[in-house]
Amino acid sequence: MNFFNAIRWIAWKDLISEMRSRENISSMFFFALIVILIFSFSFSMDQQSARELMPGIMWVAFVFTGIIGLGKSFTAELQNDCLENLQMNPVPRGAIYLGKLASNLLFITVVELILFPLFVIFFNLDVFEKIPLFMLILIAGTFGVSAVGTLFSAMTVQIRAREVMLPILLLPLIVPVMIGAVEATGSVLRGESFAFYGPWLELLIVFDLIFTIVSFWVFDFILDH
Amino acid sequence: MSGIHGIQISKSYRHYQVLKEVSFEVAPGICFALFGPNGAGKTTLLKILATLQRPSSGRFEMMGHDGIRDRDRIRNFLVMIAHGSYLYSELDAVENIRFELSLRGRTPDIQEIKGALDRVGIGAFSDFKIRDFSEGMKKRLAIAKALLIRPRVLLMDEPYSSLDEKGMTIMNQFIRDSTGQGAAVLMTTHNRAQSAEVAHQAGVLQQGVLRKFDIKDLAAGHELF
Repeated sequence: MNFFNAIRWIAWKDLISEMRSRENISSMFFFALIVILIFSFSFSMDQQSARELMPGIMWVAFVFTGIIGLGKSFTAELQNDCLENLQMNPVPRGAIYLGKLASNLLFITVVELILFPLFVIFFNLDVFEKIPLFMLILIAGTFGVSAVGTLFSAMTVQIRAREVMLPILLLPLIVPVMIGAVEATGSVLRGESFAFYGPWLELLIVFDLIFTIVSFWVFDFILDH
Repeated sequence: MSGIHGIQISKSYRHYQVLKEVSFEVAPGICFALFGPNGAGKTTLLKILATLQRPSSGRFEMMGHDGIRDRDRIRNFLVMIAHGSYLYSELDAVENIRFELSLRGRTPDIQEIKGALDRVGIGAFSDFKIRDFSEGMKKRLAIAKALLIRPRVLLMDEPYSSLDEKGMTIMNQFIRDSTGQGAAVLMTTHNRAQSAEVAHQAGVLQQGVLRKFDIKDLAAGHELF
């Protein structure tokens, strides 16, 4: 089916391009690494304070890192006017959105997976038993940021001040993701039960679903206008 | 049924009217060469026909389909060769063509792709990344892509730019083959000598107004505008 084929090929194209240039992932990684180092040297923390502060610091680093990657997602299409070609192609607009979302999600998640152990080391946390839960929160939070970010990346790509406009538009909208992800991460770090972190995880999943569906439907309008 | 039928197309940017009720018809199997000074609105007209922009007023049809209402349908049989190469720098020549054909729901055969690259004289560079291609090679690759897509409507913005003599011969052979197979071709150009070899009709777009002229004047060297 052309729809799913198109998703696959767009994600494939982004993946191959990134594997060869490493432009996106390396800039995201080094930015996040610097954020971790600055925070870890700025605060001298015992394990109790680290547990309180780490979720917020980690998600701020992840979100800002994600914005760097999302910003480049559609600007890469401006080279050689490839965005025009995508617009002229008979491919469903929703497929372009989902293909881009898939590649963005993959790139951001890869960087987060590299950074997560560094957070654990620098903040001296004992989290090994809770890793599956952290991964679940990480993917749910990253999906929400990527779902909205992919749409806004397309919206701002033709704007001259796109580097400024993307975070200005995106950050207020992903406040629920930030709150949900920070609270859920903090709850798991404190060793609380599902009754505490479950509602935050549900918030993330509902946000992901709603904004993926809305972005999917409005992407046609965004790309053609 | 006409190939391309423009009906009183007007386009304004703020207070400046680029196109003033431009009407024309390009039948299947016909190549129309459009001349005009810089800033006359030639590229704007092509972008409207390529579904990249909307006219301020007026409309157009392609192969009997309304250009605005049925734009998803006309994108299936439309190809534009423009100043931007529409190629991804990190992908090689074969990968770029595979990507393009796949988005159009085709299952590309590698031998077929390599055959098309041979026809345009860049078969030896099939595994070279586009970032290493010259502008002329990119233009030849665009021809190879169009050869495999076999469009029914071909829009070309300055098709001879960046091409060497051999490249121009290849371009003209491609245009002859396309019109021979029934494609409607509309090209904007400043190259009278080359376009005189393939064009069946010609016109000048000046100050937003389209004026047709006798094709014999193209080779005769009379002042066009």
